[in-house]
Order: sequence, then structure tokens, then C-alpha cells
Amino acid sequence: MREPHPAGPLRGMGIGWRPEIAGFLAGLPGLAFAEVIAESLPPHGPLPTGLAQLSERGVPIVPHGVKLSLGGAEPVEPHRVEQFAAVAALTGAPLASEHIAFVRAGGIEAGHLLPVPRTRDAVAAIAANCAVLQSTLDVPLALEPIATLVEWPDDELTEADFLREVLDRTGALLLLDVANVYANAVNRGEDPFELLDALPWERVAYCHIAGGAEIDGLYQDTHTHRVPPEVLDLVSSLAGRLPAVMLERDGHYPPAADLVTELDAIADAAGLARVTA
Amino acid sequence: MSLARRQADLVVALVTGGATPAGFDAARVTAAREQLMRKRAGEVAAAWPALSASFGTRWYAEFSAWASGRPPRGSLRDGWDFARSQSSLDALARAELAAREAGWRYDGTSPRRRSAVSRALVMIGARFSSS
Repeated sequence: MREPHPAGPLRGMGIGWRPEIAGFLAGLPGLAFAEVIAESLPPHGPLPTGLAQLSERGVPIVPHGVKLSLGGAEPVEPHRVEQFAAVAALTGAPLASEHIAFVRAGGIEAGHLLPVPRTRDAVAAIAANCAVLQSTLDVPLALEPIATLVEWPDDELTEADFLREVLDRTGALLLLDVANVYANAVNRGEDPFELLDALPWERVAYCHIAGGAEIDGLYQDTHTHRVPPEVLDLVSSLAGRLPAVMLERDGHYPPAADLVTELDAIADAAGLARVTA
Repeated sequence: MSLARRQADLVVALVTGGATPAGFDAARVTAAREQLMRKRAGEVAAAWPALSASFGTRWYAEFSAWASGRPPRGSLRDGWDFARSQSSLDALARAELAAREAGWRYDGTSPRRRSAVSRALVMIGARFSSS
């Protein structure tokens, strides 16, 4: 078993901050960090009240971008880079994150994160876009591989090798989404434990844990369902190796008591301190 | 084919129902297209709660039928265009649309916040014309 090599500044259990649960989050005594969707904040402030309260308490805020389209062949748009950097400065972030994905092409917005082909020209595109972003950003960048229902037909590299190339070329850290690993493995008929073993663990800055459901015969990483036991099992298998984890939930919020239960279950599975009391 | 072209072909297939690009599994492309539409409908519902509630259980069917083939323009504009396309709306959805029309000037391309004077004039006009 590999020893944990914590990379990056985050430690402990956090959550994705959402305005719908701002009150609940402001009341969590032990929250180790809060991730916020970068594009949801006005780049020059003010922070939403609940988020400002957490920040004043010393809870690190991590901007998580969803619209930069770093995996796009089209160069990342300068105004988006500027706004992302402004949000990182506004929040005093120790780290920022985005995705190994693209969201627009040919002048059309996909409205969702789409996978890039695992090819060398895709690595080059990501590296070029990350270079632009990192030249403006003052803090480390972590990249998140996504869950996808579609697979490109002409992949040159395995998932693990592609990820290593991207991280080597960009110098970025890894935002490991355990639910994404589970979703992709299940839908490909592969073993999620094998995929996890092959990842560059020394680069993991933090982890996402999210819920999903089977829809149309496929496991879909919806972020609006509870975290399934299979994903919690994966987290348990990684206990002690995860420096920081967070629950990512985007809608259909359950009652507070259920959120508490879910947060505690994730913390326990990861071997991290509970944040709810 | 360039990466740019291949990415554009995939987006067109997923968002406007264009042909599945060569080599892709058609069933997976269909599943992803539906996943994107569900997400889009959910985001529009969140931005236009009275509008979506007015359709009840028919929200997804009605919105997705209208939105199919139209690329997403963000939940504010998608909901706005969809609301304007309806020949009738229930009272709450009408009020929601009226409030947005009063606060913003939307020409179908980009919404711009109205000045205070402009907002007041629109509200006065709306009060006299609604019944």
C-alpha cells in the first residue's frame, strides 16, 4: 500500500458551497474547506453572505470552474481566464480547480462537460490552455477528469496514462472525483479499484464524492441523488490516502439531517474527522 | 480531421440532434443527449420556477420538445424564449415573465438591465394593460 503523499494545501472534509444550503453550511462547525462554482460569483465581489461568513471564519474557499473549456481545441477565452483569476483573488483561494473537458466547439455551447479524446493533440490543447490560465492565476491549479457516457473511438492512451501526461505537461494537481471513476468504470464494464490503483496518487490535491443513479441502463453521475454504497466502498478502500474530500451536490437537496448523515458517512469512510459536530 | 472539427461534430450531435459522428456508439450519444437535456431543463426550471411549476409533470416533455435542436443559451435566455413562445401562461408564470420583462430589456439576443426610469414606465404600462 502506497503511503499518502499529500499534495496541495487542503486537508480534511469539505463541501461544495451552494446558495440553496448556505444556512446549513454556515452552521457546520468543522468544515475544512468550501468549494464554490467560480462562474457563480461576481468576479469583483461581494461574496454571498453565507460564503463570506465561512471565509471570515478562516474556512478556505476553492473556486471550481466549469466553463473555461480547458480541453477545447479552441483557445480559452481571455475574459473567462480573467474572471476566474479575479474570483481566486476575491476568495483568497489557496487552490483553484477546473476540468479535463470541453464545453463549447464550433460556436455552440454544450451546456455540459464533455470528454476529450485521449490523444496527444488533446494533451497539447489542454497544456496550451492551462498555460494561459496559470500565467494569470497566482495559486496552484487542480484538474478533474470527468464522468462521461460517450467514448471517443480513437483513444491513443489509457485513462491513467493520459492523465499522467496532462498533469506532467501542465504541472497541475489532480482533483480526483471518486464518483466519476466509479461511473466510468461501471459503464465500461471495468473494475473501478483497478482504475484507482493506476492513478498518480502523489498528485491528488482533493477529492469529490457525489451521488448518482441508474438512468436508461447507465450509471449517471447526477449530483442530485444520494451517494451510493458502492462509491462509499471505493472511498473506504482509499481511507488514509485522501488528504481532503468533499461532497458535491447540485440540487434536490434533502433535509438537513440527511445531509449530516451523508457528510458523516463520507468522513468516516475516508478516515477524516467529521465536520457536523 | 482536426481536434476542433471533431469536437464541433460531437457538440452538434449532442445538442442539436445532428448525426452521430463516425466511430461513436449511437446509443451512448443518444443517452448523453438526453442527459444534457435533462440537466438543461433542470437549470431552466431553477431559473424560472413559476414557469416550470405551471407545467407540472409535463415540464420536461414540453420544454425538451421546444428546446430540441436549439443550442442552449443559458437558463435565463432559454426560459425567457420558451416563456415568450407560449400562447398562454398561468397567472404566476405570467407575473414571473412580466417581472423579468420589466427589469430587463431582452431583444432575443442579450438581456440588459433597464434603467430605473425605464423599469417604472414598463411597470406602469403593464398595470394598465393586464387584466
